[in-house]
Amino acid sequence: MKVDESKCLGCGRCRPYCTMGAISFVRAEQGQVCARIDQHECVDCGVCYRAEVCPGEALYEPTPQWPRSVRSTFSNPLVEHKETRIPGRGTEEMKTNDVTGRFKWGEAGMAVEMGRPGIGARFTDIEKVAMALAALGDIHFEAKNPLTGLMADKRTGRMNAEVLNEKVLSAIIEMTVPLTRVQEVIGAVQKVANELSTVCSFDLTCKVHPGDTVPAFELALGAGVKHTLNGKTNVGLGRPFFEEVKL
Amino acid sequence: MSHTLHRRGTVESLKNDFVIFAMSAKGINEIDSNIQLRRFLEIVRQFGPVNLGDMKTGNCFITPEETIITSTKDTSIVHGVFDNREAFIKALKAVKDADLGVSVIVSGLLDATQECCREAGINRNTCETSLGVWGKNELLPDEDILRFSTMCGHGMVAFSLVKKMIEDVKEGRRTIQEAAQEMAKPCQCGVFNPSRAAAMLEEILCLWGIRIA
Repeated sequence: MKVDESKCLGCGRCRPYCTMGAISFVRAEQGQVCARIDQHECVDCGVCYRAEVCPGEALYEPTPQWPRSVRSTFSNPLVEHKETRIPGRGTEEMKTNDVTGRFKWGEAGMAVEMGRPGIGARFTDIEKVAMALAALGDIHFEAKNPLTGLMADKRTGRMNAEVLNEKVLSAIIEMTVPLTRVQEVIGAVQKVANELSTVCSFDLTCKVHPGDTVPAFELALGAGVKHTLNGKTNVGLGRPFFEEVKL
Repeated sequence: MSHTLHRRGTVESLKNDFVIFAMSAKGINEIDSNIQLRRFLEIVRQFGPVNLGDMKTGNCFITPEETIITSTKDTSIVHGVFDNREAFIKALKAVKDADLGVSVIVSGLLDATQECCREAGINRNTCETSLGVWGKNELLPDEDILRFSTMCGHGMVAFSLVKKMIEDVKEGRRTIQEAAQEMAKPCQCGVFNPSRAAAMLEEILCLWGIRIA
């Protein structure tokens, strides 16, 4: 996001809407107070622009060039990824599991949402986590996730070097593992989290098993990690387009 | 894209926070699903949601409800938010009876939504939970601020906007309702719960000073 200094009135109305706190005010050459956006910190989420609070219509979004373009594709939910055709940073994950059968019996979906909530992440940090997970061996990052597409080496989790210094509001490292590996993955994230210069939110998904139980949640507790009391449930009303293997 | 997963708060503040949403699976049951998604919104609207939206067109505080409903696309993700259990269960039952064929997802306290599913005669398919926030947690603002901002999973509700709204209410520039709705606007999908936000504002106002750093 940029500011047209000739139109900015310096009123400050845009500042509270900035998700990254990247807007400040300075005295421009002609002496008037003017908004300035720290381009290193701005993630091109578009919130300040869409808030329509600028009386001078001074905010504008230039078409970003590679690699800066990754900022808006991961941070602005109105930008649809060409790989997933889903707006935002992730995939359909468990939301369409009743139709796709993506997560099967005995499996867990695990995702590390880098930069969430509200802090943002650079790809240097994203790479640290991806590489720590890949180092466990036989970890398959979700192919449809746009972040996986930015990995130069999906086997090691190494990111395309061109994007390393880019910052996004959040990006999701997504994988499916057998239930037997849930605690191992939790351990790896626990360890690498100490090396991060940002935060990450950790998601755990599992098909509801017979007896209305969710075994992955018990496994997390076994690893000493208490899950939150709230969560998301696919209520199974979608018509399945796969053949379910009986447990 | 777990945009309703990491809402923070006490059990008390989350107990009346229910989100229901629908989407089709890309490349599977996507074609012409805009019809089912539109029907979903029409059904949900009958039960008085406190927010309603489609990622593609926006929430009901920035776009007229009619426009949201008539603009659904095959790639839409459509949402309704409820601030009471009874209305949520009625909406869930009505969506089930409509047999739309697209995926329907609910968010809330897991035990509460499980009970609601039972009452609606629904067997849960898949669950997702949060294992919390890891890494440099000292960067996060006060928990009071996070409880508002995490109602938009895409992070569109800036910490600074929450602080500004608290400040505006305290200084008499906005009412609590106006502040809650202003925070709901940037959350494009319409999953922010302005009713919960208003209740939380009421609760915390006395705890915050006028000048917020």
